[in-house]
Amino acid sequence: MGALTFIFLPYLCTAVFLLGIGMKVFFWIRTPVPLRIVTTPAPRTRMGVTWRLIGDLLWFPNLFNADKLLWLAGWCFHILLWLVLLRHLRYFLYPVPTWVKGILTLGLYAGYLIPIPLAFLLTRRLVIERALYISILGDYFALFLLLSTTLSGILLQVFFRTYLIDIKALILGLIHFKPLLPQAHWLFSIHLLFVMALLIYFPFSKLMHAGGLLLSPTQNQRANFEQRFINPWDFPVAYNDQNIFSPEKYRQALMEQKGEKE
Amino acid sequence: MRVPVPIPEIKIGASKHQRCYPAKEKDMAKIDLPKERVERWKEVMLKKMAEILEKYRSVRLFLDICVKCGACADKCQFFLGTGDPKNMPVARADLLRKVYKRYFTLGGKVWGRANEAEELSEGVLQEWITYFYQCSECRRCSIFCPYGIDTAEITIAAREIMAAAGIATKYVTEVVAKVYDTGNNMGIRPLAWKDMCAFFEEDLKDTEGEDIKFPVDAVGAEVLLLPPSADVFVNNNTMAGYAKMFHAAGISWTTSTYCNEGGNFGLFLNFANMKKINNRILEAARQLKVKKIYWGE
Repeated sequence: MGALTFIFLPYLCTAVFLLGIGMKVFFWIRTPVPLRIVTTPAPRTRMGVTWRLIGDLLWFPNLFNADKLLWLAGWCFHILLWLVLLRHLRYFLYPVPTWVKGILTLGLYAGYLIPIPLAFLLTRRLVIERALYISILGDYFALFLLLSTTLSGILLQVFFRTYLIDIKALILGLIHFKPLLPQAHWLFSIHLLFVMALLIYFPFSKLMHAGGLLLSPTQNQRANFEQRFINPWDFPVAYNDQNIFSPEKYRQALMEQKGEKE
Repeated sequence: MRVPVPIPEIKIGASKHQRCYPAKEKDMAKIDLPKERVERWKEVMLKKMAEILEKYRSVRLFLDICVKCGACADKCQFFLGTGDPKNMPVARADLLRKVYKRYFTLGGKVWGRANEAEELSEGVLQEWITYFYQCSECRRCSIFCPYGIDTAEITIAAREIMAAAGIATKYVTEVVAKVYDTGNNMGIRPLAWKDMCAFFEEDLKDTEGEDIKFPVDAVGAEVLLLPPSADVFVNNNTMAGYAKMFHAAGISWTTSTYCNEGGNFGLFLNFANMKKINNRILEAARQLKVKKIYWGE
């Protein structure tokens, strides 16, 4: 059982996570973009596009314009999530870099706060009629996984503290392909299981929005109308001769029409 | 200035009965589409859908990454106007998304319920016919979506899929067929066009007291003007305005009787027809040997 939870599953989930994301992104990149569909206000240069995407990633300006409360919850959640993830680097890196040590406290409080925006997002789905209508089981499942992961993490931090050296030995062992079984609290296994479920679910769900933004044609194109946009699967126009006037047929018809009038 | 629009309460099925008239056989034949819904419509539509997913990154990406945050929900004028929840851009895209998930994603095949996958059935098709023709492809939702998801792209894809199986609306197909017959959406025949332009000239002579020309099919003019044909037909002041502007600026210009339409209804039907209609502009410009095309709509 221990070997399954601590060795086999982590490898499997990481592989599914990386391969799944890789395949999704590969399919997206492989699919051509036939038309220029960039939304206004559109940047005209590559540099402008870079700034737009950085702005989109860091600030969610479209969401800010759409719904302030939702933006606040969504933005807070993502910032807090990044802080928590960066804090977790201390379990993966040896020796721990100075900058990770620098954000340990920040990451800790971020971890305590993260259920608040998550709970808000969940409540919002249930309370606002429109949001309730569009929510599907997958939306609740993603929120459930995130909430369970963070809550079990907080419990681990506050009440059921595990022996950190063991955890780190487990993770470093996995990274260096010399796995060993830790003596960890059962709650740690629960936390790990939730994380692994999240990893497996990620590539096949809406959680892929993270990478999709950078490839979204309405966001990452330029409005450089001086340059002709080439459609990679363009095809020549084929007229249906029976029904449609070709320029020649048209001229003929025009002459006939003139004759009738005179 | 922002004018707050009251967000309506959800009324399920509120605009379910507002549907477009189906296309007529005579129009469908002229625009190279099946005359009526083909017998094996399901296979044809799924095949077309697979083709579109290979051709448009936008469609594939937008179907994959929507998180259903609902930011777009109260931005669509069709939802604000009707209160029908299926007119929320996210719900409209879901009509296509559920079929995509059922047939083209692992998530939908393995765990269809969580991912809301659904088979393409008669019921789903009827919803498509209703709600994909209640979208004006204005793209307002896309500027509020955190990922720039453009429901117009989804609508365009869905209409193209339906058109491939011979399902379209009378209004759009009629207009597209008219363009191939007369060169414009209004169905104005070449001689009528010339007559109207002559009338404009007389009218402006009376009101302005100047010889303001409305050249038609003038080979070698500098500019080919493509007004929306409604400007000639109804919004006459706009059309007179073009001529006055060219007259004052001293630019030689012309309209073409082969192509005198700035709007392209192919956008509401399918890519092939949109391309054909736009190609007429180039043909007209080459016939008349103009240097520039002024194109307004």
